[in-house]
Amino acid sequence: MQGKTGYFVGKLIELVVTLFLVSLLVFIAFSIIPGDTARVMLGPDATEAQVNLLRQQLGLDKPLVVRYFTWLFGILTFNPGTSYAYNMSVGELIAQRLPVTLGMSVFAMLMVIAISYPLAVLSARKPGRLGDQICSVIGHVLFAIPPYVASLLMILLASSMFRLITVGTYVKPSDDFLAYVVCLLLPSFAVALPKIAMSFKFLRSSIIEQRASDYVRTSKSHGLSDLKILIRHVLPNSNVSSITIISIILSDILGGSLIVEQVFNLPGLGRLLLAAISRRDFPLLSGIVFYLAFITVLLYFLSDIAAAITDPRIRLK
Amino acid sequence: MTRHIHIVKVHHLTLSFPTRNDPNPKPVLDDVDFGIRDGEILGLIGNSGCGKTMTSLAIAGLLPENAEITSGSIKFAGKNLLEMSPRERRSMLGKDIGMIFQEPSTALDPLMVVGKQLEEVLTAHKENIQTKEERHKTITDMLELVGFTNAEEIMNRYPHQLSGGQRQRVLIAGAALLKPRLLICDEPTSSLDTVTTVSILQLLKELCHNLHITILFISHDLSVVRGFCDRVMVMRDGKIVDRDTASDILSNPRNAFTAELLTNARLDTRIMGFEPIKVDYTKDPVLTATDITAGYGRRLFERGKNKDEKADNKVLHDVSLKVYPNEIVGLIGGSGSGKTTLIRSLLGLLPHSGKVEIKSPRIGVIFQDPVSCLNPAHTIKWHMSEALEASGKANEIKGEGTYKERKAKALARITAVLEICGLGEEHLTRHPNELSGGQRQRVAIAMCLIQDPSLIIADEPFSSLDASSSAELLKLMTDINREQHTAFLIITHNIHIVRQIAPRVIVMSNGKICEEGTTSEVLTNPQSEATSKLLDAERQIHVILPVQN
Repeated sequence: MQGKTGYFVGKLIELVVTLFLVSLLVFIAFSIIPGDTARVMLGPDATEAQVNLLRQQLGLDKPLVVRYFTWLFGILTFNPGTSYAYNMSVGELIAQRLPVTLGMSVFAMLMVIAISYPLAVLSARKPGRLGDQICSVIGHVLFAIPPYVASLLMILLASSMFRLITVGTYVKPSDDFLAYVVCLLLPSFAVALPKIAMSFKFLRSSIIEQRASDYVRTSKSHGLSDLKILIRHVLPNSNVSSITIISIILSDILGGSLIVEQVFNLPGLGRLLLAAISRRDFPLLSGIVFYLAFITVLLYFLSDIAAAITDPRIRLK
Repeated sequence: MTRHIHIVKVHHLTLSFPTRNDPNPKPVLDDVDFGIRDGEILGLIGNSGCGKTMTSLAIAGLLPENAEITSGSIKFAGKNLLEMSPRERRSMLGKDIGMIFQEPSTALDPLMVVGKQLEEVLTAHKENIQTKEERHKTITDMLELVGFTNAEEIMNRYPHQLSGGQRQRVLIAGAALLKPRLLICDEPTSSLDTVTTVSILQLLKELCHNLHITILFISHDLSVVRGFCDRVMVMRDGKIVDRDTASDILSNPRNAFTAELLTNARLDTRIMGFEPIKVDYTKDPVLTATDITAGYGRRLFERGKNKDEKADNKVLHDVSLKVYPNEIVGLIGGSGSGKTTLIRSLLGLLPHSGKVEIKSPRIGVIFQDPVSCLNPAHTIKWHMSEALEASGKANEIKGEGTYKERKAKALARITAVLEICGLGEEHLTRHPNELSGGQRQRVAIAMCLIQDPSLIIADEPFSSLDASSSAELLKLMTDINREQHTAFLIITHNIHIVRQIAPRVIVMSNGKICEEGTTSEVLTNPQSEATSKLLDAERQIHVILPVQN
C-alpha cells in the first residue's frame, strides 16, 4: 500500500509544482510583451502625467516580484483583478463565459467517446473488411476537414436549408437548460468531428493490437466467448493507452474552440480571449490563460490517476 | 462417457493458408495422421516452423481465421470436431481440452488479478454451476495442487508480481481447473531456466497421473522430451516423418531426419574438435570492470519503509571481471542472479558505480530475442548499412571515389560479412519477418561483426532458438572466434554450452560473482552453493528424463 499512496502523493506534488511554473510563465510572458498598457489605454493624445497617474492606479509602477505575488494571490482567490476593457471583475467575466466553453467541451467529448468507441470496436472485429475500410476512409476525410468548414456546412444545412434551429443565439443554462444544450449541439459537433476521427483511428489499432496478444489466446483456450474477451480483457487493456489520448483530445478541444465560437457567434472564453488580446487587457488575458492552463494540467493529472487505477503495473511497482 | 483407446484421432489432416494470389499454396500440414492414447504423454518434436503448433491449434479449434482445412478429420472421444459449430467447439475448450503456451510472461491479462482470471474458466462454462464460495475453493485447491503454498495470496496478485515459473504454474492451474481430458502443452518450458523447467515437468507428470490427464507435449528441446514423454512423433515440413516410443526413437533413430535432430541436440558434435585459441593472459584485457554496483532506482517520491530497503534495491554488488583478447568466457547463473543487469551496466545502459574500461572502441552485443531487435520495417541491407555507418567505418570505406564506387565498396563489405555469418546475397533485400529465428540471430551477429569489434557480448543468444539453429549459431561463434580473433562473453543458463566452448567460466548468484575459473575445474569441483545448484538442476533433468547414450 506504501507504493500506492506514494504514487498519488507524488503525482499531487507534481501537479502543484507544474501549476506554480505555469503561473510564473504566464505572468512573465505577459510582463515582457513590449508596449505600455497605460499609454495604450489612454490613447496617443494623453499627457505623460495622465499616463503616470493611470500607471500608479493600475499598480504598474511597483516592482515585478510584488506585482507577481499580488497577481498570484488574486488568481488563487478567484479574484485576478478588474478587466481594463470591460471594467468588470475578471472572475465574473470568466464565470459568465465558462458555461459556453466548458459545455461545448463536455458535449464534444461525449460525442467523441459515444461515436468513436463503438465504431472502433466494430471496425476492429474484422480488420481489412469492407466495413472497416469505409470507416477508415470516412475517418480520414473527417480528420482533414477543419472545424470552421464543418461549422459553416452545418450552419448551412441545419439553419438555412432545413430551418431546424436559429444559429447565433445563446441561451444561458440557468434560463432554459434544454435550449442551452440545443444551441451548443452543432458547435460541439463541429469541434468533435476531427477528434472523433483521431480517437477512432487510435482505438481501432489499439484494439487490434490487444486482440492479437497472448492473454487473449489464453482466454480463448479457457473457453471464453469473444464478447466476454472483448469486454473483460481487450477493452480495459486498450483503455490504458487511450486514457492519455482522450486527455490530450480534451485539452485540445478546450483551447481549440475559438474559431467555432466565432462562427457560431457564441459568447465563450475564446472570444473573450480574442477581445482581451486586441485590447491589451492584461488582468483578463492572464486570468483566462491561467485558468485554461490550470484545467489542462488538472486533466493530465486526472488522466495519470485514471491510468494508475486501471493499470496495476503503474500503481504497484 | 465411453472410454476410447484413442482420445484424439487426427485422420489425414491437410491444412493450408490460401490467399487471393495463391489459392493452392504448399500445405502447412500435409496428410497428418496420428492418434493420442488415453492417459499417455505424447511428444511432438521438430524444428521451428514445421507445423507442430498448427497441429495443436487445429485440435483445439484455435486456428487463425485465414487457415483452411482442405481434407481430413479430427475426432475427440469419437466425435468429429470439424463438424461441430464454433459454439460447441468453444464450450469444449477449458472443459475437455486445456492448453498452455510458450511465453508465460504475456499469457496472463496484466490488468486482472490471477484469481479472477482463473474464475473466468469456471464461469465461462454454463454447465458448471458453482456458488462463489465453491469456485473459490476449486481455485485454491487447484493452486495448491500446482505447488503454491499460499494460494489465497496468489489469487490476489497481479501477473507482474509473479515470477516466470509461478506464472506458468498459474496457467497450468487454469488449464487443468476443469480437469480436461487432454492438455496441450506448446513449448511450456522453453522460456524458463533449468531449475524451473524441472519443477514444471514434474508437475505436469503428476497431473497426468493423479488427474488422469492426457498430454500432447510440443517441444523443440529433445533433452526435455526424452523420458518425459511415453511416445514421440517427429515432424518435418508439415509431415510426420517418424514415430515410436520415446526411448526407442531417441536412442536408435531409424529415420535420417530424427538422427539429424539428435545430432544437433548434442551440440558438441557440431563443434567437435574445437580447440579454443590460446589466450595470452599477459596481454591487456579487452574489458575490465571493477567494483560494479548497480540497481534499479526508485521513482521520485516513492520511498521504502526504511533506509535499509533502499540498499536492497541494488542488484549488483561490487562485481569485477576481465575478458582477455580472443577469449571465450561463459557467464552462468540462475534467473535473477544479476547477469542481465551486469551486461546493461557494462554497456553503459544503466547507471552504476565502479569502473568499466573497454580497450577497443567497439564492442558488439547480441540479445536473447532476435525478433524485437531488428526493425521490421527495413531490409537486412538497411540494418547492415546502419551498423556500418554507426561504426564510423563507412567513412573509411567511402573515403574516395564517386558516390557509386563508395556505395559498391560498402555493399561489398556488407556481403562479405554476411557471408561469414552464413547468409547469402539473396538475404540482403529481405525483411526480418522473412527470416527464421536462427537467421535473424545471424543478422544480429553480422551487425556486430561489420563494426570489427574486439569483443561480442551475447546475452542468452540460444534460448529462443531450436536445437539445429543453436548448433549452427554456436559453430558460427566459434568460427568467428578462431578466424576474426573476437573475444566472446556468453551469458547463458545452459551449462552444457558453456562446457563445450568456454574455457573460462564465471558464476553469478545474488548479484555477486561467487565463483570463477577454468570451466573444467569449476564444473567438476564446484566450490560455491550456487554452482552446485545449477549443476544439480542440469543433472535432474536427466534423472526424470533418463539419458541413454
